[in-house]
This record gives sequence, C-alpha cells and structure tokens, in this order.
Amino acid sequence: MTLAMKGAVLLVAVFLIVKFGLPLITAPLPMSLIWLYLFLTTVGIVVYGTLSAESTEALLGPIFRFLGGEGLNGSAKLARLAVLVLVPLLVGWQTYSELVPSSQPPAENRTIHPAPPGEFVGLANPVPNTPENVMMGKGLFSAFCSPCHGAKFNGNGPASDGFNPPPANFVDPGTIAQLQESYLFWRIKKGGVGLNVEGHPWKSAMPRWEVELPDEWIWKIIMAEYAGSGQKPRTWE
Amino acid sequence: MGPHTSHRRSDNRQARQAGAVVPATRVWAYAALVFMLFTVAAPLGLAWGQEAPAGPATEYRDILPGVVGSRNLIWIIAQQHLLLAGFVLGVPIFAWVCEIVGVRTGDPRYDTLAKEFTKLLTSAYATTALFGGILLFLLIGLYPKLMSYLTDVFFPSFLVYCVLFLLETVTLYLYWYGWDSMQGATKGFHLFLGFLLNVFAFFIMIVPNSWATFQASPVVITEGSMWARAWAATWNPTWWPVNVHRLIANVVLGGFICGAYAGLKYLMAQSKEERVHYDWMGYVGNFIGVFGMLPLPFAGYWLMREVYQYNQQMGITLMGGFLSWLFILQAMLIGILFLGANYYFWLGIMYRIPGSEAKYRKPILAMLVILLICLGVWMTPHSLVASLEEARKMGGTHHPMLGVLGVMSAKMTVVNVMILVTFMSFVMYWRAGKQETATWAKAAKVGQGLILGIATVVILVLGVWGYFVPAITRINYFSTTQVLVMLFVLLTITPLTALVLKSAKTTTEMVWGIMPPRAAYALVLNAVMVILLMTLMGYARSSSRVHWHVYGVMQDTSPYAYSPALGYAAAFMSLNTFLFCLMVAFIFWVASLGGEKKGGAPGKARVKEAVRPAVAGAR
Amino acid sequence: MTEVQLLQTIGLSVVGLGGAILLFVKARFVRVVAFVSIVLGGFTLVALSIPQMASLPPGVEKFDVASIKDKKELASIGQKIFFGKGQCALCHTIGTGEGRCPDLKGIGSKLTRDFMYESLTQPQAYVYKDYEHVGPAKFFPAKMPYINKKPIGLSKNEILAVIAFLQNMSGEEVTVELSEIEVPGSAGSASRRGVL
Repeated sequence: MTLAMKGAVLLVAVFLIVKFGLPLITAPLPMSLIWLYLFLTTVGIVVYGTLSAESTEALLGPIFRFLGGEGLNGSAKLARLAVLVLVPLLVGWQTYSELVPSSQPPAENRTIHPAPPGEFVGLANPVPNTPENVMMGKGLFSAFCSPCHGAKFNGNGPASDGFNPPPANFVDPGTIAQLQESYLFWRIKKGGVGLNVEGHPWKSAMPRWEVELPDEWIWKIIMAEYAGSGQKPRTWE
Repeated sequence: MGPHTSHRRSDNRQARQAGAVVPATRVWAYAALVFMLFTVAAPLGLAWGQEAPAGPATEYRDILPGVVGSRNLIWIIAQQHLLLAGFVLGVPIFAWVCEIVGVRTGDPRYDTLAKEFTKLLTSAYATTALFGGILLFLLIGLYPKLMSYLTDVFFPSFLVYCVLFLLETVTLYLYWYGWDSMQGATKGFHLFLGFLLNVFAFFIMIVPNSWATFQASPVVITEGSMWARAWAATWNPTWWPVNVHRLIANVVLGGFICGAYAGLKYLMAQSKEERVHYDWMGYVGNFIGVFGMLPLPFAGYWLMREVYQYNQQMGITLMGGFLSWLFILQAMLIGILFLGANYYFWLGIMYRIPGSEAKYRKPILAMLVILLICLGVWMTPHSLVASLEEARKMGGTHHPMLGVLGVMSAKMTVVNVMILVTFMSFVMYWRAGKQETATWAKAAKVGQGLILGIATVVILVLGVWGYFVPAITRINYFSTTQVLVMLFVLLTITPLTALVLKSAKTTTEMVWGIMPPRAAYALVLNAVMVILLMTLMGYARSSSRVHWHVYGVMQDTSPYAYSPALGYAAAFMSLNTFLFCLMVAFIFWVASLGGEKKGGAPGKARVKEAVRPAVAGAR
Repeated sequence: MTEVQLLQTIGLSVVGLGGAILLFVKARFVRVVAFVSIVLGGFTLVALSIPQMASLPPGVEKFDVASIKDKKELASIGQKIFFGKGQCALCHTIGTGEGRCPDLKGIGSKLTRDFMYESLTQPQAYVYKDYEHVGPAKFFPAKMPYINKKPIGLSKNEILAVIAFLQNMSGEEVTVELSEIEVPGSAGSASRRGVL
C-alpha cells in the first residue's frame, strides 16, 4: 500500500469514527467539530508524508499522476474523468446550498456566559452561610426552581423536557462552578429577558424572579444551589 | 532580488531558475506608486468627507463614512505602526544577541547577520516614525475628545517620550554607522551601545504602553502636580503585564521575520553559497523565534489574570463572552505555528543529516501524533457551533463528552505538553548525527527519559485533577505547578544534553543548503502566523474595552462605538498582515540596494566557515 | 448580498487567485506572495464560517427626575451611577474584600448620611485613622478624588442618589427624601441640571 493510500484510508477511518463510531457511546458531534478533526488529520498526513524527498514522492506522486492522467488506461481513465467532472460540480452544489434560502435556522454559537452588567459584578452574598439559611434556601429551591432544574440540581426536573436548550445542570463542573455568586444573582434576578446584547441569541426561558422573590431569598437559593450540587462558587483570590 | 541580478544573468542556463527572473524593480515601482496614491488619497478624503463643524467643541470627525470610516483608518494605521514598532524593537534585541554570540564564539557569520539586520533598522525606524506621525495626526483630527483627555492626563510622558526618541535615534546612528570602525579593541563599546539601544527601545515601548493600558484599565486620577497625575495613570494594573508580554513577543517577531526573510532569499538564491548562508540564517531565526515563544503563553496568562482582577466584566467579555471565539482562532494560529516550527526542525533532521530518515521517522511520527491530539483538544470549543438540530441531539451547545475538553484545565495541560514536544524536537535535532562518547552518557540518557516521563505524567495528572478542585485552587496551584514542571524539564535537559554532547564525536556532518523549498515556505508561514497573532490579540485587547474609549470613564459616542463581528475583523487583520509583509519586504529590498557592491553576497565570503557550530544545535 | 457573503467572495477569490499563481507562475517572489495570500484568505474564511456576532453599545439611559416614584428607584439609579459614571467601582469593592481602596460593605449603616456627603465632596476633611484591617496596615495608593469636581463631576442629585444606594445596600432605611432632589424649573434651582 502506498503512502497516499494509507493516508486516504486513515482519513476515511477518522471520519467514520467521529461521525458514526462516537455516536454509539455518546451524543453525535456537530459538523463543525468533525471538519476540524478531519482538517487536523489531513495536516498530519501532509506533514508526515512530506518529511523526506522519497516520502513526498510516495504521498503526492500517485495523486499528481492520477490527476495528470499520465499512463492511465481503462477504468482508471474513467475514474479520473469522473473526479475532474465531479469535484467542480460538488463545489458548485456546496456554494448553491450555502446561498439558497432554507427553513433551517442558521448554526449559532450562543454565548453561554455573557459579561454581566457592571452593577452585578463583584457583589458578595450578604446572607451569612449558616445551615439554617442553606436549609431555607433548599426549601425555596424546591418550591421555585426544582420543577425545571431538578430536585437533584442536575437540570432534570419534570418540566425540563419542555425546554431547548435544557435547564442548566448545576452538578456539571462547567456551569455554576465556573461562576461567582454575583453572576448567579444577576441571572436569577433578571432572567432570560434580562440578558444583555452580548448574550444574543438569548434563548433562555429563565423567569425574571425579581418580580416574585426578594433579594434575600435569591441569595439563599444561590447558597442552596452550591451546597446541593456539591460545587463551590468561583473566587478570584 | 535586487542585489543578485549579476548572479542571475550568469545562472540562466539552469532551466529551473529561468522562471525566477522577476522584474523586481518594476514590481516595486508599481507597489510604491499604489502606496503613494493611497497616502495622497487619505488626506483628500478627509477634506471631502468633512463638513464644517458647528456648535460646541467637535468630539469626532469622520473620514469617507461608509467607504473607509475613521475607525477603520485608525485601525489600519495603528496596526501598521504597532507591527513596525514591534519589528524595530525586536530587531535590536535579535541583532545584539547575535553580535554577542559572534564575539563569544568567534564565528564571523553572526556578526555579519547582526549587521545585516541592523542595516534594516535605519529605514524601518524611519517608516515606524512616519506611521506614528500619521497615526498621531489622524487621532488628533478624528478623535479630538479622547486626545484632549489623554493629553490632559499624560502630557509629561509625551515629553519623556520625545526625549527618549532623541536618545534612541542618536544611539542607533552611532551603533549602525560605527559598526565597522568599532571592531577589535572598541568592540566592547559597540556592544555597550547595542545594550543602550535596547534599553532606550524598551522605554520607548513602555511609555506608549502606559497610554494604551490606561485606556483599558484606568485608575482614578487624583489632583496633584502634572507629573504625579501622569505617573499615577502610568502605573495602572495591566501596564507591566503588557510590557513583558510585548517585549517577549517582539523578540519572537524579530526571530520569525528573520526566518521568513532567509526563507525568501533561499528560494530566490542563485548560487550554492547563498543557499548555504540563507539556510543557516533561516535556522537561526527559527531557533530564536521558537525559544522566545516558549515563555509567551505564561506572560499572556498573567495579563489575563490582571484583567480579571481589574474588572471581571472585561475578563468575562474576553474569555467567556463576546470575544471568546477569538481565543479559538488564537489556538488555531498558535497550533499551526507550533506545527510549522516542528516541521522545520524535522525537515532539518531529514535533509541536513544524510541517512537519518530510517532512524528518526518513528519518533517524529509519535511527536506529530501527540501534537495533533493536543491541538485537537485545544481547538475544541466549550460551546460548539451547531445547527438547531445538532444542538437538540447534543442537549444544548455543550457536547456531553467533548465539552469537558473545552475548559481551561484541559487547555493549560495540552499547551504544556505541546511546548515539551517542541522542546524535544529541538533536542532531537541537536543530538542528531552525533555519537556520545562519555562513559556516563547512557545514565544521562536514562535520566533525561525519566525526567521527561515523570514530568509528562505530572502535567497530565494535574490536568485531570483540575476538574475536581475549585477554580481558584486550579489557577493558583495546579496551573503554576504545570508551568514550573515544564520549565524544570527545559532547565535540566538543556545543560545535560550540552554536557553529553561536549565530548561526543560527530558521525555525520550537517550539510547546509539542500533543504527543499517547502522548508522555506514553512518559515514564511511561521512569520505570517506570528504577525496574524499580533493583529488578532491586538484586536482582542482593544475591543475588550467594548464601547469605551477609556474603560468606565469616557464612553465612545461615535457611530463606531460598536465592535464588529469576528469575520469582518479577521478581514482587517488579514489586510493588515498583508500590508505589513509587503512593507517589510520593501524595507529589506531598499536596504539591500546599497551596500552590496563591496563584499558581494554576504554568504559568499564566509562559506568556508559555514560548518562551524555556535548556537546550540547549529552544527 | 450580505456583508458576510461579500467578504466570503473576496476571501475565496484571493485563495483561488493564489492557487492559480502557485500552479502557473514560476517567479519565486510572486509565488511567496500568493502563498501568503492563500494563508490569509484561508484565515479570513475560517473566521467567517463562525456565526457572526457584533457587540453593540447599550442604549443611552437618561433618568428623568420628575418621574422617580419611590426611594427604591432612587437607590437603583444610584447603583447605576456607582458602577458607571461615578467610577466608584474602579477602586471600591462591596463585600468582596481587598480592592485598591476601602471596602464599602455595610458603609450605609456605619456612616451618617451627612458624613458620606462630606466624604464625597471634601474627601480629605476626615480620614479614618483606624481604618483597621486584620494584619498589617493597608496601603491605599490613590487618594480619594473630589466627586463633585472634575473629572468625575457628579451633580448634587447624583451624589444623593449614590448615598441612597449605599444606604439601601447596607439594609438601612434611605434617609434621602425625594423632595431633596431638585427638579429643574422649581424655585432656586434653575441653574442646576435637571436630569441626573
């Protein structure tokens, strides 16, 4: 097997694994990520293949000869013709499908943690962290928050299926463990409608709790969320 | 191009190089013409686009709104000025180090190299000052409100800046024009001049840094004397992190531009002597660039920490909010830079050391795979770009499995591993073609292996453990430990290898001048990546202020207060990089027009000594 | 054509032109320029493939004095001034520990309203000698500036709003009366600014 063929096999194998292999054990990957991994694989093949003059020939020689049509006959000749016709068509189709209006909403990168407004930066929790306060916070949490965020703080409440994106999972170290208490205070108090321009597209069904809960209750709920999910709020010192 | 016209004529019989006959002068003449048109057109545009101001003091003026716009024009000019300044400050460091190496090793190639680059300084320095002047006039004209505020605060440091400029100019002229007359006994004084040049250059850098960092992290200015106020504003929280970060980055820029220059010259070389010389020069440039790059991530990390401490809102905008995608692009560019640098080392082993292919293919493959895996982890974002359907399948924009690769703990780990791999690439290159003779060589080898192995394990373990501790523990203890472990490896293996190789006998001599063209392209690629990175991160630094001129103090109320989307910004970064590359090429070309008549090609006279070692690994 | 599509077209053209040059032109310098163009064009295309998002400045907020209904609203305006125009948060923290200047947690219950007003307008009149921290005495590098003078220059209304915020934040009752806020046009305050 020549280097060129090995490279092609590797590329196809990587594609099959990330596209069809990984979904067997976890959620499917978005195309943007698959492209990234394929790109890295290609770079690897090219770097490895062009390390010396001989390997460069082994990698690129067959490709160039095939495209150049040197000494090809029979089916190989037809294959070359097919490639030369199909590749431009593929590019054209890709361009067309990019430009044609479709009913699919465009891919988006939602800013998960937009910067909070100045007045919510660096507020300290005014409520002392006592077992009683945490207990009370847990009670408030189960009354107001657990329908969506779940009794186990894992975003799996009975109403969670109704939302896309789903309610935040506080047990995940990527959510509240990355944030300060003042950040949670902002999100709870102002809710989805209170997100700033930076957080666009908002897509959050979080209610604006300032309408219903006094600040002190919100602070207690925050304490309960950290205590219940086994996380600690982020600090900078 | 220019200086080697005479060679070209005689070498025309070489069929492959026949195509290389570029009408270089004509290309440049056109380029210069277009450039002049551009500079002439800009002030005209100002005149057309402007209506007479009415009412109270003008806060903003615009220039061809809708076509150019004041912000875009400032963007381009400021970026050119900054890149040129980085070049002008990086090259003296580079040249001075080369000069010292030349004196220490007695290898005349280094002195020639240092001189060749100092020659660039005079014209590059003038161009930098020119762009600084244009920038200043435009700023005064287009942003009067901001400029009068900054002048109010910083006037004394404007004066200091002017004095520094005078000193720097005098020193530069002495350093350059005295090069040949200060050889031999007075070389020491010349080295001192070089030192002085770098000291002044450093201060010239940090004074404007204080203006820019004050805009990003202002402190409250109390009443007091003019000097006290300026000093209080200068000493702002991000001043020193930016100073250090920029100083290191300038060395890297100087090194990689030297490499790219050598690569280009190598491609266009007409004789064997030239090829040997520029092959070697490319090696030295790449070496300095890579070694400057190693501490750079940590300087950047320090800067980010200070930004977070100063104002979390700004920190979140940068790292988690609006600008977070910049850091994925940054990872991509740095990743390509790492790959390019390693690729160049590997090509060096394969080509310069005949018969090494069979021995080194396997280790190189292993390093390549590790690098690519690290790169894959680094470039996997925390929240992914996904269509609605894809996001629904994943249950949000976090992937349940790969999402964990998106957080800081994973990124810090792979960066450290990538630096280690690059360092090992270099050590491998250094040792290639040599046979250790010392009796303890084996023990040393085992020791090195152990150090490397344990260090890697420690870095990985800390990286995984980092997921299970509070963020502050991770940042303060785990990440710093990882860095210290990595530095420990660098600081133990380097002297150990040097000791072992002192007594080693060379089995295969290095052959210079037979690298394939793609090595030269790799050098050019590295330089482009560094310049792009500077434009990208400069954009990040500047747009982290969002709609403020001076963060939290003076709001931008112009029509350009918004920050553009990343794609639009990237187009500007590319344009700026391209313009800068052309300008540097022009400066190199202008500098090469004069002094070549006496000595011929620089490499020609020196070629006989070209196999002598000097910089570690350059054998 | 949208701006993104225009830029994409330009990027693709640059990359395509560069590719054509690499295929057909032999001049080395031109080839290197083409190579650089391909790299830069590719970078731009990657950046364009990410969903585009611009950051717009927030709308300008103006507070109409006449429409302030209760003290709570006054305090929330003071909060915005504290973190915005007043620049207080450049130095002072509220309960998160050692900023560059004294922490203001509970300051509204420690100080009287008049003392706060004086601290803002005559900052050097009284400096707490025993501003005690645990451990060694803390060095505060910046002197407190006059808040009612340039460059910050808050109006009396604005300073009162900040005091209302500080009191409210400390769990105290706000002692700033709405009647103290000077509405333009009313007697004796014709020269003052009417909006906060």
